[in-house]
Formats: sequence, structure tokens, C-alpha cells
Amino acid sequence: MKKVLSLVLALVMLFSFAVVTGCGGNSDSSEDDFLVGAIYINGKNDTAGYTFAHHNGITKAMEQLGMDVSKQLKIVDNVPEDDAQVTNAINTLASQGCKIIIGISFGYINAMEAAAEKYPEIIFSHATGYLSNDKNFNNYFGRIYQARYLAGIAAGKKSLALGNNNIGYVAAYGTEYAETCSGINAFALGVQAINPDAKVHVMKLNAWANESLERQFAEQLITQYGCGVIAQHCDSAQPQIAAQDKGVFGCGYNSDMTSQAANAHLTAPIWNWDVYYKLAIETAKNDPDNFMTKVGIYYGGLKEGFVDISPLTNNCEEGTKEIIDAVKAMMVSGEWDVFTNVKLSIAADGTITKVDGAMLDNKGGEVISADNTYYVYADGALKAVDGGAAAQDGVIKGSMNWYVAGVEEK
Amino acid sequence: MTKSSKEPLIRVVKRQGIKTWQICLLYLGAVILALGIGAVLLLFLKANPFEYYEMMFTLNTVGNKMAYIQYETYIQELVPLLITSLALSLAFKMRFWNIGGEGQFFLGALAGAAVAFMIPTSANVFLTIFLMVVAGSLVGGLIGLSTAALKVKFNTNETLFTLMINYIALYIMRFFGETKADWNIFLRPDSERPKFNQIPDNAKMFTIPIGKFSLELSFILVILLVAVVYFYLKHTKQGYEIAVVGDSINTARYAGMKVNKVICRTMFMSAALIGAAGALRVSSVYALSDTISNDVGWTGIVVAWLAKLNPIGIVIVSALITILQCGSVVASSNFSNVDSHFADLLQGIILFVVLAADFFIRFKIVFRKKNTEKQSKEANV
Repeated sequence: MKKVLSLVLALVMLFSFAVVTGCGGNSDSSEDDFLVGAIYINGKNDTAGYTFAHHNGITKAMEQLGMDVSKQLKIVDNVPEDDAQVTNAINTLASQGCKIIIGISFGYINAMEAAAEKYPEIIFSHATGYLSNDKNFNNYFGRIYQARYLAGIAAGKKSLALGNNNIGYVAAYGTEYAETCSGINAFALGVQAINPDAKVHVMKLNAWANESLERQFAEQLITQYGCGVIAQHCDSAQPQIAAQDKGVFGCGYNSDMTSQAANAHLTAPIWNWDVYYKLAIETAKNDPDNFMTKVGIYYGGLKEGFVDISPLTNNCEEGTKEIIDAVKAMMVSGEWDVFTNVKLSIAADGTITKVDGAMLDNKGGEVISADNTYYVYADGALKAVDGGAAAQDGVIKGSMNWYVAGVEEK
Repeated sequence: MTKSSKEPLIRVVKRQGIKTWQICLLYLGAVILALGIGAVLLLFLKANPFEYYEMMFTLNTVGNKMAYIQYETYIQELVPLLITSLALSLAFKMRFWNIGGEGQFFLGALAGAAVAFMIPTSANVFLTIFLMVVAGSLVGGLIGLSTAALKVKFNTNETLFTLMINYIALYIMRFFGETKADWNIFLRPDSERPKFNQIPDNAKMFTIPIGKFSLELSFILVILLVAVVYFYLKHTKQGYEIAVVGDSINTARYAGMKVNKVICRTMFMSAALIGAAGALRVSSVYALSDTISNDVGWTGIVVAWLAKLNPIGIVIVSALITILQCGSVVASSNFSNVDSHFADLLQGIILFVVLAADFFIRFKIVFRKKNTEKQSKEANV
């Protein structure tokens, strides 16, 4: 007994000694006034993926605003989409004195809605959501479809050069989610602008991330359907790596995937989250009362620099850059956009012509009419969506459930 | 030589006559040792262990104007763990290995939520919560009863049986959470993506405001439950039967107890309490999720054993473990290099070291007698 006790005590003393000598009297200087709170779905020390992209955006924005990230940013990470745990995370951040709380995952929606009412003095900002109020609760997302259209042009140009009209697309989901659906459509429209005969073959994972399936589907698209370019809407670079291994080409997503598949990658639609975070944090700090008028429901695109494509690689065909720059300029200036009653037709020499007319889905239904009315399927039939531009954005973000002609789901 | 070959170098021998203060000291030493190991890891992460532990143990409530929020969260987390641990201890006392707490919790939560969404919103708060608890405990209890019945009829293995129901229950929960359909009353109707809906106001936990702080009704219920379970186990015939069946089924039979009935009844109660905890959890956090159990089915096992299946011990252990869990979230949010996984790591280290201390309380290690030890040392040199 005594031996065991003395052993335990000796170890305790050893460790407490190590602790005492290890830490000197640093930290705790002046208390910073403005605190930013963030709730992440994965770890704050991640080095790739969705949480990493957001964390990077928040820290970059705070640095640009001259804030001390280590003191002024409070994070609760690895929070699953569970109302109880999200509420706990919000309560923790609120009781530490955070003045803006950022939630990056869709499933945080219930808890953030309730918290916005409970804490009227704190601003709540929710990525990918659809709820808001008029004082302290907004949502934000981006026109990533614009970037996907540009990536589609690069893929279409490549398919012409390869003489292969089959293009593959590994998607998390299909028409179930407007986010994936509008992405697939925009990419297909970009491809068809330059190669009208191209077909986009979609295989869906039914999960936002599944690395082994992502690779398997890409391989299947290449070997079974003869695809020469592989695009993707999923987390990892596996589809690009598979494309490289099989000697074909691809467009990544989320971050520049050139480093993972240097011989295959063309370009990737990417997010610049810091653009939004800078606006949101700055407004919350300096003018919180007008947050909803100054920031509001945020849906930035190429114009704001919120979405973009990664630099074109040497795998791209010659002349791709000029075409993409021209189309990008049209979207930045607001002269033209993807989901409209006007399509672009790009000739081999790079001349861009506008073609008026309705947009058809792959079942022959008119989904955007000649007078620019949007339609979505409801109970098996196409129904018109009225309510102007905001409602049309609502379709792209929330209710689009059709594929444009030329898209085939496998 | 012959002696040393017979007697192993190290033997484990049951310890006798250890005093209470020695036990307390050993446990305390174990916790301090674990915190010491954690401190070394924190230093590697460039965080100040004293600051970290201070925030963890106080939930950063000292001098905090909004401390009441942390206390509310603490009680919200404590209640399901406490009920589940108590319920598990009933079955464990009988040596019936109910490791299906997770599954019973999930299905109880689903049943409670079903009541919450189906009952008219004009119904009284107390009536609604009461019916939710009844539904949760019935569903949980029937599952427990079925495993017990299979055990006594066909001698099935209850460990495997309850374990597998955990996974079935989890996937039933996911099915409801991911299937968008008109019949699915659990989801938000306005969301394009499937997302569990919040329960109506009349199903939300009743709270008693004490200043800014609001005390959950379920906390009062759980305190009553502790008293009831304590009394039941120590002072009733049924409680005595549980203890006898746990010690020896044959003795119980010989004494004329209806062993099968005792097993079925106790397992029904154990699972019903866990189902009720699931229903109360829904009422307290307002929505379902596939992580709603917060692993209480697993943590509860540890709590019940650390507390030696004693109801008062369970209160103390679950209160301490909940401080660890809530405190870690608060502390890690304030350290940019320490993510929430560190909390899990620290909990693991503490439990591991405390269980090791538990081993040394019950057993002692005896080395081979001195003269033979010397011989073997000389032989090695």
C-alpha cells in the first residue's frame, strides 16, 4: 500500500513540477473589446476541407481588420448538427462575450434561429441557411454556379480538342439539393456554350463526402462512359487523382486541386470566404444596428470576388483564358448571367454570341421561359415561380430540381 | 530454483482492510496524476495548463455576468447522464449487462418526440411532458423487456442483444432524420433539405425562473428519482431480490424467488427509465438528432461502475464528469491551439487512471519472496 501511494505521490509531484516550471507568467494583458465567435463542424486545426476554408477566411478577414485572432476569436469546433450541442456552443460563446456568432453548417439552423431571439444584442450569421430576421440574424452563400459555368467552358474547350463529347461529374447529391443541382446545370451550360453536343454524365454519392466512393465513381465514369473530363462537387481531390491516373482531365472544387493532380487539373471553382467575413465582422463591429441593411442576406458572386476559379493550368487548351475572361467580365458587369433566357454560344475562334430562347430541361420541359420566368417541379409538374429577382435567387439556392438538357444522371 | 519456477515473479492478490481515507486519497491522486499528464500535453500545444484547468473547473463562470447560462447548460447535460446511470445500475446490480442504453435512449426520444408533434398544441405543458415521458418509457421498457424475455426463455446473450439494438435504433433515428416525406412529422416542413423540426411550445421543458437562471423541471424529477432508487434498492423486497439474483441465481431459486420475473421486471424498469430520459431530453433541447444521446448510454456504464452502483455515488460521479464535459468546451473555445478533441482525450486519461486506481484499491501486486528475488538478480548480473 505505502509503496503504491508513494509512487503515485511521486508521480504527481513530478508532473506538477513539470507544469510549474513549464509555464511562465505570460498572457492576460488588456481585455479586447470586440469578440468574434465561430462554430465549426470539423476541427479548427484542420488542414484541408470545408471547415479549414472557413477558418482561413475568418482569420484572414480578422487580420485584414487589424484584429488579434488568438484573443478575439473564440471557437467551438467539432460541433455536430445537433440542436442541443449547437445551442451549448452558442451559449458558451455568448457567455464569453462574443458580439457576432458565425455558424458554418446548414444543420445549425434551428439553434441559431432560436438563439437570435434569445440574444437580441448578438449578431448571428449562418452559412448556407435560408432563415433570417430583420435585426440580428442573416444567412450567406455565394453564386458558385457562376464559377462552375467558367469551369464548364474550360472543360468544354478540352472536350472539343479531345474529340470526346462525354464529360463526367461526381456529385454529392443530384436534384435533391438545389445547391448541387444548380452547380451541375451551370457547369453543363458552360460546357455546351462551347461544345453543344457534349453530354454531362452525373453520378451521385448521396453524401457530402465519401473519399473511396468519389474515386470509384470517377473511375467508372472514365472507363464505363468514356468521359474525358471529370468535374466534381464533393470534398476530396479523389476524382482529380483518378482522372490523372487514367490519363484524362478534370475540374476540382473548393480549392485549387492542381497540387494533387498536376497532369489532369484544368481549373476549380473556389470560394473566397474572407470577402464575406471581412464585410460581416467589420459591420458587426462598427455598425451593428444596421447589420441587416448593410450586410443582410448575402449572396455574393464573381462581382464581389466571393467566388472565382483557380488559375488556369497548362493542361487547358490554348485560347481558354481569353474566352473565360470575356465571359467573366459579362457576369461581373451584370450584362449577362447563367440562369436566364439568354444562352451564350462560343465559336471555335472565341467569338461570343448571345442566343435568346427558353431553357429546356432534359425531359423537354420549359424551365426558364422566353420571358425569363423560372419553373420548378412540384408534384410532378412544372410550376411557375413568381416574385422577381429575389425569388429567382431563391430557386437557384433552394428549390431548383431539374437538370438542363444534356445532363444524364447514372 | 524449484521455488522460483513455481511462484511467478509478480502476483495479483486481493487486498483486504483498506481504509476509506486511503481510497479517497488514491482516487484524488489518480485525478491529479491524470491532470498532470493533460498539463504536459497542453504545454506541447502551447497553452497554459493552469488557465485551461481554471476555466474548465469553473466553467469560466467566475466574475462572468452571464454565468447563469453555463449553469443551465450544466443541468441540461447532467440530467440525462444521471437518469441513465441510475437505470443502468439497476440492471448491473442483477448482473444483467444492459449495454443498450444508447438504443433505449434514442427510441425513447423518438417516442417522446412523436407525442410532442402529434398532441394538439393547445394541450397543457405538464400533460404533454407527462405523456412524452410515458411514451418514451413504454417504448424503452418494452425493448428492455424483450431482451430480458429472450434471455430467460432461450438464454440469449443480453450483451450482444442490447448492443445490436443500439445500432438499429441509431439508424431508425437517421432514417427519420434523412427521409423527406409528407408522413414524416419530425422534419421541418419549410426546409428543402431534411432537418429535424423543433417541438411545439407546449412540449418544451417547463422551467422555474430563479432570477435570470431558469431551473428545469427535470432536475427536480431526477433528484426525486435518486431518492426513490436508493430506497428501492436498500429497503424494499424487490430491491433485495435484485441483489440476491445478482449474487447467485441458484441461491435466489433456492430461496423461492421467481428469478425470471425479477429479471424481466428489473430490465423493464432499467430500460424504461432510459427511455424516459430520452423523452425528457427532447423536451429539454427542443429537437431530435442522431447525436441526441450525447453518448450517455456509454458514459453511464462508466459512471455506474465508478460509483460501485451506489445511487449517491452515481450523483457525485456524474456531476463531476459533466463538469469535465461542459468545462472542456468552454476552455477549448478560449485557446486557439486546443480543439475540442482534447476534452475527449483528457476524459479518457482521467477515466483510465481512475480505473487503474480502482484496480489497486481492490488488488495488490505481490512480488516473489526476497531471497528468490535476490537469486534471480544475481543470475541476471
